[in-house]
Amino acid sequence: MLDIRDALAALLDREPDALTVSTCGFITRDLYNLRDRAEHFYLVGSMGMAAPIGLGIALAHPGRRVLVLDGDGSFAMNPGCLPMIAEHRPNLVHAVLDNGAHESTGGQRTVALGDPAATALAAGYAAAHTVDDLDELAALDLTGTPALVRIRCAPRSHPAGQRVRQTPQQLVERFRTRLGVPQPHLEGAV
Amino acid sequence: MLPESSSAAGSGSKVAETVLNALVKRGHSHFTGVPCSLLKGLFRLLEDPGCPAAYIPAPREDSALGVASGLALAGARPVALMQNSGLGYSLNVLTSFNLIYDVHLPIVVSWRGHDGNDAVEHDVIGRELTRLLDVFGIPWTVLDNARPEDGVEAFLKQYDSGRSTAVLIVREGI
Repeated sequence: MLDIRDALAALLDREPDALTVSTCGFITRDLYNLRDRAEHFYLVGSMGMAAPIGLGIALAHPGRRVLVLDGDGSFAMNPGCLPMIAEHRPNLVHAVLDNGAHESTGGQRTVALGDPAATALAAGYAAAHTVDDLDELAALDLTGTPALVRIRCAPRSHPAGQRVRQTPQQLVERFRTRLGVPQPHLEGAV
Repeated sequence: MLPESSSAAGSGSKVAETVLNALVKRGHSHFTGVPCSLLKGLFRLLEDPGCPAAYIPAPREDSALGVASGLALAGARPVALMQNSGLGYSLNVLTSFNLIYDVHLPIVVSWRGHDGNDAVEHDVIGRELTRLLDVFGIPWTVLDNARPEDGVEAFLKQYDSGRSTAVLIVREGI
């Protein structure tokens, strides 16, 4: 079974330029401790909203690739967003790191997920895959989007890394600076 | 902010047009939300193929705020629309995203149950709507259908070019 950190590293290597939104809890913390860059946008709350926020970013910047990092719990919280995302055909890869547990709250098992890849296809995603190892992940063709990739991972054996050090406002400022978009709080009234 | 009077209400669809035009003129390019009968004129305009703004229907109000938040984060100017019943679903996004990341949104919220004389499911949220917004420090303006330009102006002043989440409350249908 895959270590979730190896799955994250493989996704980042595959999508080096993607604007990346991570769901709250340990996925944000693992991503931050693995690699921290201005294209990363870490959610610390709003579970279930990584994918809708990713859609909004993709609609504002259709020329950019967007990578959404969901967990199985956050995916289960908001499958209603899948057809909404599919309708707009965004250049978006929706990864579901599935280890079957709500780990940041103590490892409780998640609700039955069914088959997330089949759910995504039924919702209108252009492609959806389930992978169990890095070779399968590397072999995927993720040209057609939106695409869902469910990556089956092992429960974490490592301690949770540090929490994100930047404030939420600093994360926003950094992300907007990288995108070259205005910062309302730093500018005069329009 | 409550209007001084709403007795001379303009025709709903004309008001919807004025509200939409005022928002589009101020650069708001993407609209997302879940419909309400009190906002049906506005949604009809958004669904029109000739509408100058993009319309992104959402399955639930919190997802609408999620999409709008991504748009605002990435430099676009979204507007979210919903019935006041959807504010309950939205509270987590407001409190754990918009109000802590300072990624602020203009939100148009209808006011079912405002006079205590609506369908029973609107009684509680209708009674508490403005108090709920006050609890979270979200400024609000009630649209006066007789003076829609003024209402949008006051609403956008509260939104302050993205420095504060603000709510335009629609009490009479538009």
